Amino acid sequence: MKPSTVKIKKMPSRFKHQVPKYKITRSDACINCGTCAKSCPYGVHERVEGHNRTKAPINYKCIGFECKNNDFYCIAKCPRKALSISLNPMYETLGDYRWTADIITATWIMAETGYPPERKDLEYNTGNSGGGFDKLRLKFPAGQPKINKLEISTEIPLNRRNDGRANVIISTPVYGGGMSFGSVSLPTMISKARNASLWNTFTCTGEGGYPELLQPYNDHVITQVATGLFGVREETIQRVKIVEFKYAQGAKPGLGGHLLGEKNTESVARMREAVQGTSLFSPFPFHSVYSIEDHKKHIDWIKEINPNALVSVKVSTPNDVDMVAVGSYYAGAHIIHIDGGYGGTGAAPDIAKKNIAMPIEYAIMKVHNFLKEEGARDAITLIASGGIRTAHDLAKAICLGADGAVIGTAELVSLECVRCGNCESGRGCARGIASTDSELSDLFNEEWATQRLVNMYHAWNVQLIEILQKFGMKSVRELVGRTDLLEHIDYSKPH
Amino acid sequence: MPKKYHIHSKVTPLNLDYVFKFKIERGENCINCGKCTKVCIYEAHKRGKDGDTRKMADPNTVVCKNCFRCIQECPRGALEKSLDKDFLNIGGGYWKPDMFITLWKQAEDGKVPVTGAGYRGPFTGPGFDSMWTDMSEIVRPTRDGIHGREYISTSVELGRKLNHLTFDEKGKLLSKIHDTIDIPIPIIFDFPKENLSPNVKVALVRAAAELNTCIVLSADDIKADIKKYIKNIIPLISHKEIDKHQGLIKSVRFVALDYDEEILSTLPALQDKIKKINNVLTIIRIPATKSVEAIVSKLAQSGAEIIHVVADYRGQENNDSADQNRRLAKDIIRAVHLKLVEDRIRDEVTIIFSGGIAMAEHVPKAMLCGADLIAIDLPLLIALGARLYEEPEKIIVFPEGLEKIAVRTVMQRIINLMGAWHSQLLEVMGAMGIREARRLRGETGRAIFFEEIDNDTFGKLFKKRETANI
Repeated sequence: MKPSTVKIKKMPSRFKHQVPKYKITRSDACINCGTCAKSCPYGVHERVEGHNRTKAPINYKCIGFECKNNDFYCIAKCPRKALSISLNPMYETLGDYRWTADIITATWIMAETGYPPERKDLEYNTGNSGGGFDKLRLKFPAGQPKINKLEISTEIPLNRRNDGRANVIISTPVYGGGMSFGSVSLPTMISKARNASLWNTFTCTGEGGYPELLQPYNDHVITQVATGLFGVREETIQRVKIVEFKYAQGAKPGLGGHLLGEKNTESVARMREAVQGTSLFSPFPFHSVYSIEDHKKHIDWIKEINPNALVSVKVSTPNDVDMVAVGSYYAGAHIIHIDGGYGGTGAAPDIAKKNIAMPIEYAIMKVHNFLKEEGARDAITLIASGGIRTAHDLAKAICLGADGAVIGTAELVSLECVRCGNCESGRGCARGIASTDSELSDLFNEEWATQRLVNMYHAWNVQLIEILQKFGMKSVRELVGRTDLLEHIDYSKPH
Repeated sequence: MPKKYHIHSKVTPLNLDYVFKFKIERGENCINCGKCTKVCIYEAHKRGKDGDTRKMADPNTVVCKNCFRCIQECPRGALEKSLDKDFLNIGGGYWKPDMFITLWKQAEDGKVPVTGAGYRGPFTGPGFDSMWTDMSEIVRPTRDGIHGREYISTSVELGRKLNHLTFDEKGKLLSKIHDTIDIPIPIIFDFPKENLSPNVKVALVRAAAELNTCIVLSADDIKADIKKYIKNIIPLISHKEIDKHQGLIKSVRFVALDYDEEILSTLPALQDKIKKINNVLTIIRIPATKSVEAIVSKLAQSGAEIIHVVADYRGQENNDSADQNRRLAKDIIRAVHLKLVEDRIRDEVTIIFSGGIAMAEHVPKAMLCGADLIAIDLPLLIALGARLYEEPEKIIVFPEGLEKIAVRTVMQRIINLMGAWHSQLLEVMGAMGIREARRLRGETGRAIFFEEIDNDTFGKLFKKRETANI
């Protein structure tokens, strides 16, 4: 259920047009009678009084072929048969195998309205990658659900150790991934924090320091300690409820981070206590950690500085990720956060993203089962990230054994990221999301961005509750590890 | 510490007619307001159609990075974008259009391709696309520096090695240690079968020399203009022509023999005959046929020093059966490697693999599957702007005017490409915590294979796989 602080409000795109899925062509046979403009309720056609020609169709507003059952279908209505509809070739230039144009479009609709799209022509639960989440399906039981949606809880506790530290509970099993100041703009970062605070969940600073403007949201910010230790100070560790150690990240496992000189502007450099314009490397690995014992020393250090904080350990997904997870548990971590290779919001070498370490779907099960065998599963929170694009991915990840998920790309897409992938070059993001360029980072304000994120989180929560209702569950906690509720379309029926 | 191997990349644009991915068209309802000029940070939109600054010029799609700003902000919705048809037509099922764009880019700047926003490709695919390389979360203090690169060696050793050493009663070494040759990267160049213009041929040879690796060339192609680099040339000859090429053999370090069945029975004698002319290493070049691992094993047992297994240009087995019945590079290499391991002779012989090596990631992957090093040909030509089409039959189209480009420029493009591949090899090895390329060979424990992990994960939950995923 959503916290009372969450208010849904329509927040339209900041651009005049959106990317159209369909293309309406008006032929020369058009006599400008205006029938289409009168009948289309979506505003695709417009005929301005006094103009002698109907305006060019506004393609993105069209709901597509499914409209043909409506009595206002313009193609049928046109007295001269001058209109035709086809798929817009532009749509093919949007998205990719993982984030299909449909998923991107649907996420934009969620961020605008706060609800999953009403349109039936968007396949937004699965992508097109041909494996993992995209081949898994939730297997709903037949019959009518008996549970009232209002009784369903999506809360999860993050501290399961009973060690006297803060009993942190988040209202939805999702929180925002680490994106450093420098890799994203300040409005992006602040909106993420405001959304986290409204949703009673968290966002993470990433490795780039803790901007003072985030202070009002301290209770909902995770401060990240990564190998470069940029901007890490005792007070930044003391002011938060969760501290995250980043050993590696899924998009570039074993490679460390790299902020190009161009993006190291004056404000970024000040925050990171570095020299403006120089490339900043966050090395791999932690040169103070060469063993699991060193790792415990690290965690003890944080626990000493902040006696109330929870410690999260973020690792990527090598073959021995299960051992690493168990090691983290014995070292005293509260959260083990495994990051698969298909996420990542910043720049990473293509070779690393595609090839290094295993997909998150495999890692979740591996870690969950190993923790169970070790008798440690109930005392640690397992968070998955790196490829969680939709509410259905989230539900599947939980079925595979995660308690919750961290999302990054979905947040950026809510802010109208098109995944063009040029975050790293020159002035950075052309759409002002991942840029510290003074002109580009002014492309939207925090009100707009916060509401878009709040809306998207809400749409996911609505879908998650629907899923739980269909399974007859009152809490998302019941879904954890329920692989029996999944099926894989490449395999036959389960045992 | 020995001198570090370094590839000197230098930005080398080549103004040839490349293919670009996106096509933007300005519709007739454009009102020449110039909004697109303001919003595009890549300068794709400019004024001045036919010199008339009142009108917008045609969009410059070369610089388009697909950010959609012009599309979304045009007040009239007058701009249209699509995937360029020329782009979609290039390559084929194996050589994907995107590969060309990235190879061209690497040849231009010598840098590791980097993009933002996560991986966008399919979950898995045929051959090398169905494996991942491992990484180490916590590594021992064997690495240092920014990327731990200073101590990573990519050099490999070619030649016959002994299974074990023998000593006499007094502890004196009895075994005769064979000569081996080190090359600093696990990549050699294979001779492209296409007709190359003289500048390209010379540039290929000079690039091989500059990189301190070798290039395989047909003996007849070795003319005076490249004799200077003879130490980096591997002449390919028929075993019947050893006598004819005595002079050539005297000047090289390696010689490659085309395999035929006769070689199998005459091998030790053939190698001895070559050794008598000059102390060179012999490479036996054998097509990757159905039973290639059995032949490789026999050759190895007859004392072969280096065996070069050649698959077709898409990394498939050479035989006439339908595509789905032909093994792919990953499986060919694994079969050869495992057969030699089974026969307890793997460590004694060097295996080179070529065919279908299209991207930097294929180098460490081929080595993890069991190759000691790889040979490439097509990427070298693509680096020069060449386009390859798989259908209806393999054809390579060279950019117009390539024959007039200076040797230095052509050579630098190849060096850049290898520089980028070398850096990517370091990235992969660094993540694995492997410091020596020779240790990659057959190290399948540091690889993750789709078939195995999918079965370990989902196979445990659900019944046997009904359809193959790939």
